Amino acid sequence: MIRRCLDGLYLGAGILAALFMMSIGVLIVSSVIARLMGSYVPGLNQYAGYAMASSSFLALAYTFRAGGHIRVNILLTHLQGRKRWLAELWCLGVGAYLAAYVAWYSIRMVRVSHMLGDVSEGVDATPLWIPQLGMAIGSTLFAVCLVDRLVAVARGAEIEKAGGDAAAVE
Amino acid sequence: MEDLLFTGLFLVTLFFLLGSGLWVGLSLVGVALVGMELFTSRPVGDAMATTIWSATSSWTLTALPLFIWMGDILFRTRLSEDLFRGLAPWMTALPGRLLHTNIVGCAVFAAVSGSSAATLATVGKMSIPELRRRKYPENMIIGTLAGAGTLGLLIPPSIIMIVYGVTVNESIAQLFMAGILPGIMLAGLFMGYIGIRALLQPDLMPDQGDPMNFVGKIRRSIYLLPVVGLVLTVLGSIYFGIATATEAAVLGVIGALLLSLLQGSLTWENFKESLLGATRTSCMIALILAGAHFLTLAMGFTGLPRHLAEFIGSLGLSPLMLIFALTIFYIVLGCFLDGISSVVLTMAVVEPMIRQAGIDIVWFGIFLVIVVEMAQITPPVGFNLFVLQGMTHHDMGYIARAAIPMFLVMVVAVGLIVAFPEIVMYLPETMRQGPG
Repeated sequence: MIRRCLDGLYLGAGILAALFMMSIGVLIVSSVIARLMGSYVPGLNQYAGYAMASSSFLALAYTFRAGGHIRVNILLTHLQGRKRWLAELWCLGVGAYLAAYVAWYSIRMVRVSHMLGDVSEGVDATPLWIPQLGMAIGSTLFAVCLVDRLVAVARGAEIEKAGGDAAAVE
Repeated sequence: MEDLLFTGLFLVTLFFLLGSGLWVGLSLVGVALVGMELFTSRPVGDAMATTIWSATSSWTLTALPLFIWMGDILFRTRLSEDLFRGLAPWMTALPGRLLHTNIVGCAVFAAVSGSSAATLATVGKMSIPELRRRKYPENMIIGTLAGAGTLGLLIPPSIIMIVYGVTVNESIAQLFMAGILPGIMLAGLFMGYIGIRALLQPDLMPDQGDPMNFVGKIRRSIYLLPVVGLVLTVLGSIYFGIATATEAAVLGVIGALLLSLLQGSLTWENFKESLLGATRTSCMIALILAGAHFLTLAMGFTGLPRHLAEFIGSLGLSPLMLIFALTIFYIVLGCFLDGISSVVLTMAVVEPMIRQAGIDIVWFGIFLVIVVEMAQITPPVGFNLFVLQGMTHHDMGYIARAAIPMFLVMVVAVGLIVAFPEIVMYLPETMRQGPG
């Protein structure tokens, strides 16, 4: 039950991230059309940037589950059995700690922005806490996902082959 | 003295975290965290959050997911068949014949895709079986493909150039333009190598197939027109200052969607897969960039980049010597790290160094991309080798050996852009100023 919920959550955030990515395109097309028609819609560029940040962070957990984050695996490929298992626990443990650290301070940033009423320096003057919410939610989900994975591997879940589809960019 | 100790500790942490297999983006965050704790008493977490926020929400970065998406859409089309069928008839007259389709095919696909692995996979999917069937020497098929695939990084759009541009705060449009001529030059050098090999050892190459008349050639290559049109639109709009890099990327996405619609390969499944695939790839890079920006902030506090720049300055190295040293450095680094990680990891230190030496930042970007390309085909970590291994089931050593001549050709290319920086700088200097 919890398993299905969490997996659904990661995938849902991933799909939301994909929609944010598409929205970057839509925003840019609108700004180009506006420019061609001789008018100017303020803030579209900033919105595209916010969509970029939201997309990146919301996709973190989903990308992780799909094996999309890259790692140096020269050492890992030489380890087997119990050693490989311990190495994976180390990576997941440190990873979970760091992700939680980022999540904690992202949430704090949103709260501080909200409290101080920070607005964007650009022409859009958006209250910053709204777009920053994506970063806070996404990084929290990433931390949850790493802890989830840590617990699973500690309890004997199979370790996936390291690597991921990093080759897609190189 | 204390500084030196801290610096040592900092570097050890870096290599330990990366080497132990912790995900690259998170490793960078971890190292930066350790560095900040060691060198400053400032509240680390808040500085980190705002740095990461401003790095990931920047407008310049939006070109990244869009160009990735464009490449991903085209990767799922019938383009690989069209490229081979369209190019092959024109290559038969050259010494080395169809081997040239590897090079030209990669160069064309590189102009719509920002990734070298995608370039390699798209072209190789079709050309490996076709060339094998015609009995071309296996090591030449593999070697030329490994080398030419790296053109994906150099010929714009290029993901690694966007990453570099965002990291050093330089115009992505300028970098893209700077990559065009060196890319064409490198493709030419690869073809030159094939030609010379074919002339020296004519018995290596199989006999010519059926010649085709001119009309037949044209008819076969008509399928390539949409791609060529797309390339010209995207790059032309940047060169003539009609669009920024991001706007050109949107144009590219729309063009790619139209092209696959025209071909009939745009299914809902393909669309969804390309969108999600691009989301994952761009998320992976964004995490690395977020970590890298935090690391740059931490590096600033350590004073390491400034010390190193001053140290290098005090050595009185000529820029030429510096470039030579950096070439060796990046090739060695590239043996262990992927291209994007080695760029973001080192720029905090290397940027002040090259600025102090008076080396142009755009030129250096192109130099860096070519050197990173070389790293793509050197073992033990070379993504092109991995991709080819997956496609051909040869072992890594065989593929790496087959690629050695291409590696040497790239060394020549680096030499040429050092000797004639105009090859890099001509287009960026003559391009029109963009709208943004």
